[in-house]
Amino acid sequence: MSTATERSAKERWEQEVAQAKPRPQPPTTVSGVPIEPLYTPESLPDFDYETELGYPGQYPFTRGVHATMYRGRLWTMRQFAGFGTPRQTNQRFKFLLEKGQTGLSTAFDLPTLMGLDSDDPRAVGEVGRLGVAVSTLDDIRQLYDGIDLEQVSVSMTINAPAIVIMAFYLANAQNRGLDWQKLRGTIQNDILKEFHAQNEFVFPPEPHVRLVIDVIEFCTRHVPQWNPVSISGYHIREAGSTAVQELAFTLADGFHYVEQTMARGLAVDDFAGRLSFFFNAHNDIFEEVAKYRAARLLWAETMRHTYGASKEASWKLRFHCQTAGCSLQDKQPEVNLIRVAYQALAGVLGGCQSLHTNSMDETLALPTEHAVTLALRTQQVLAYETGVTNTVDPLGGSYFVEALTRQMAEEARRYFDRIQQEGGVIAGIESGFFRREIAEAAYAYQRDVDAGRKIIVGVNAFTEAEEKPIEILVIDDTVEKEQIAALRAIKTARSQEEVRRHLDAIRRAAESGENLMPVLIEAARARVTVGEAMNAMADVFGRYEGAAKW
Amino acid sequence: MTTPPIRIVLAKIGLDGHDRGIKVVARGLRDAGFHVIYAGLWQTPESVVRTVADEDADWLGLSILSGAHMTLVPRVLHLLRTAGLEHVGVIVGGIIPESDVPKLLDMGVARVFGPGTPIPEIVDFLRSSPRRTPTPSVS
Amino acid sequence: METPREILELVERFRKRDRHALSRLLSLTARGEHLDVVRRLVQEHPAQARKDGQHPERVAPVVAVTGSPGVGKSTLVGRLIEALRQEGRSVAVLACDPQSPLTGGALLGDRLRMPSRPDDEQVFIRSLATPGGRGAIPEHIDLMVGLLKGFGFEWVILETVGAGQGETAVHHVADVVVLLVQPEAGDDIQWEKAGLLEVADVIVVHKADLPGADRTEAQIRAMLNLPGLSGPREVPVLRVSSARQEGIQELLRVLEERVRQPRGLRVSAKSRLRALVQDRIQQAIESMGSRAEELAQQWQEGGLSDDQVLREVLAAAEKSLSAPFAARPDESAR
Ligand SMILES: Nc1nc2c(ncn2[C@@H]2O[C@H](COP(=O)(O)OP(=O)(O)OP(=O)(O)O)[C@@H](O)[C@H]2O)c(=O)[nH]1
Ligand SMILES: [Mg+2]
Repeated sequence: MSTATERSAKERWEQEVAQAKPRPQPPTTVSGVPIEPLYTPESLPDFDYETELGYPGQYPFTRGVHATMYRGRLWTMRQFAGFGTPRQTNQRFKFLLEKGQTGLSTAFDLPTLMGLDSDDPRAVGEVGRLGVAVSTLDDIRQLYDGIDLEQVSVSMTINAPAIVIMAFYLANAQNRGLDWQKLRGTIQNDILKEFHAQNEFVFPPEPHVRLVIDVIEFCTRHVPQWNPVSISGYHIREAGSTAVQELAFTLADGFHYVEQTMARGLAVDDFAGRLSFFFNAHNDIFEEVAKYRAARLLWAETMRHTYGASKEASWKLRFHCQTAGCSLQDKQPEVNLIRVAYQALAGVLGGCQSLHTNSMDETLALPTEHAVTLALRTQQVLAYETGVTNTVDPLGGSYFVEALTRQMAEEARRYFDRIQQEGGVIAGIESGFFRREIAEAAYAYQRDVDAGRKIIVGVNAFTEAEEKPIEILVIDDTVEKEQIAALRAIKTARSQEEVRRHLDAIRRAAESGENLMPVLIEAARARVTVGEAMNAMADVFGRYEGAAKW
Repeated sequence: MTTPPIRIVLAKIGLDGHDRGIKVVARGLRDAGFHVIYAGLWQTPESVVRTVADEDADWLGLSILSGAHMTLVPRVLHLLRTAGLEHVGVIVGGIIPESDVPKLLDMGVARVFGPGTPIPEIVDFLRSSPRRTPTPSVS
Repeated sequence: METPREILELVERFRKRDRHALSRLLSLTARGEHLDVVRRLVQEHPAQARKDGQHPERVAPVVAVTGSPGVGKSTLVGRLIEALRQEGRSVAVLACDPQSPLTGGALLGDRLRMPSRPDDEQVFIRSLATPGGRGAIPEHIDLMVGLLKGFGFEWVILETVGAGQGETAVHHVADVVVLLVQPEAGDDIQWEKAGLLEVADVIVVHKADLPGADRTEAQIRAMLNLPGLSGPREVPVLRVSSARQEGIQELLRVLEERVRQPRGLRVSAKSRLRALVQDRIQQAIESMGSRAEELAQQWQEGGLSDDQVLREVLAAAEKSLSAPFAARPDESAR
């Protein structure tokens, strides 16, 4: 008794910890960051509430970009969908809206993502398979037919040919008599992360970035409620990065876009408020929450002090969140439901503005309607039953989460310095810096899993001898034929002379450096295809296979 | 004399650019002592077969996550056969629905590995498979 | 391992220009199997080729492209392939990457950067792992080059990481050694590079699209003019950007011209000797481990004279001479 009182509480705790049998592996986050057994006020030296956290809706926004967060309005439940023909996807959209989804998110097929028409020989076997096939303005018309585009916000996940698809969208809106001022939505249009991670690029980095900026510039002037870019860490993480890499590379990409847009002569406060972000929600709840909080802090700080933004809207990092596809397993696929639920929780605790929850069967094929419904229900349970929406930033003030948030921000700053040393984002792409960093992290993770240092339920632990298959969606082969036939019909019906004239105009604009959007909108009307527009630009910009090494 | 290292060509065919898996496998096989010839993204069946021939590879590993495997893999196998390279073992990795696996094996694929397959499993498979007969002989 | 009968069959197929046979023979050679057969095959070839009137001897230039990792060797080789193909020339490439001394494994990614059409019979690319660590050259590379020439390729290109590591071996097989350097952010070219310059017949300032290319070129030219550093020979220095496709044709013309010149003019014996000595001395210093640090420290502080330091370094170099692998077993057997 007496000995116990002689020692402080802290010393006693330390002694107990020292005597306890340690776990075979010291605990680390999913990204391999070591975690202390306990966090206390001592973990946060010189912590200052006002400067580091402040109040939600106020600089530096660590606790959230809105004053009331989900008490005011829930996040947008936005499930990514798209497969087959535009008509099929249009039906899936209507199905999702009926089930209570509040925004649309469009997935395109690989040929479209690579800027190829459905009838291109390189597209064989891939038309309509992983998303919807879009080659002409008519495809866009059918895709959103009967959907009120002034009410529903629409997101389009496309990058290399983003400017062409955006031109189609705006031409279609005009044809329907809609007001561009009222259109709400997001086009991903983030080419930098394609070079780092996903490899869906066509032109060399510099002209590709120019197209991104063309869209930002045009939308800033004419489609003010549209988010012209969604600066994405999601794919960086899917490619195997750590949480810190995801955070740092994404923000560095964002800073590059800001600089390039400012170099066009736009005032930072005129466009910064429309830049949006897209992050991954992986398994490690606290690491993820720290990542989102650090992201808001770093963005606010840099926009304000480095780029001199003075509007609050320019400082706010708003983000869409998607649960980690790479965490899903094909073993015991129903277990993915549980993973997705925890990941969604992380996104919501981190203050996301919209959320996509993956379906349990996505490692096997495209999701079935049943699986998609369950994924959406996961969000609804989170929103209406769990109580996590009752207060803003419920984890704020946790010694652990605050310490992790600080650490995350510091390590991201170190990466910013390294990128600077590489000569900036473009130089880092050319030298393979980003790709190497990500690939090494991916390999380190796999080695941890293979060695059993990281446990994955159903894969390297708790495996089942006998697996019962789950129902999956099969895309029928007629889609490709149907789509090609439709495209051929359009190609023969249009005026070839006019097409040639528009393609020349695209080349001239590409050459001259003027904003390509107006000529592309005109070209869309003449039924110039995605592939043709991209080829015309490639005549000027060249094609890039470059840095796709390691 | 020690057995010479196994030579394997790793390639992605089709349009999909998801190369996390293939890059992890490439590093894993390297560290297990293989000679890995990395052919990279956007390969066609024709280019892959040419690479296998010129590199005199023992194995070909294809990674496909786009769902186009039932179109692309048969073409690769056919081209290997017409090129007289039937002794080259073919493994496939990626998102392959369970129902397609037996079809691929029937066509002549040696093994299909799903996403996240432990690398030691791939290594063991490659090491334990009989090595090819060195030269197709016309005796 | 192949039976003698299978080998004979391979040889027959090779003579009939069967590409798979070439591929297979290269593998056997790389592993050091059936070298006698390959050697004979290679030797018979120049004569036979002359008889056919197709490939007179020495018409196939052998170009070694060397330089530090990441300097753009593979990319440039890819550009050279394109340029040669446009002129209707056939070309074979041996691309060497180091293999891990621990596991023997290797990741061979050079061909990734060398575009070749799958239906083009006139391009052949083979990746090779080099066991000897950085800078080394695969054993029997001379025979492999011989096979490629014998098969009828009009140009042979070797990609090796940092030839210059004194290995005169690359000079045995290559008619021209092209050294790639890239614009450096730092102040001066390191001494190590200066050593490399010695073995080069042509120097390419690669990635000339990057800032600082002109400065790097100037530094190299200055260095080549240092008395005592280079022999009485002219080393062309070219700026090339594979990314912008600039300078490729010029490089090709220079290579053609160099190949036509008699060997002696290109690399002075004295400068090759100098490169050899420099290299061995450097190896000796490295072999001394932490002692080298100490020595350098004492010397710098004036505790040791120049001669004292040199004596110790030379002693270390001497030791390496009697090391067991100073003489190759298969050479002593002859
Ligand atoms: N800026 C610029 N980058 C280039 C050029 N040529 C190649 N690169 C880049 O340099 C990097 C390395 O190119 P490689 O061709 O793989 O270099 P390497 O010397 O063969 O590399 P190792 O085989 O690994 O030693 C790649 O990221 C290329 O894109 C060029 O002309 N300009
Ligand atoms: Mg290389």
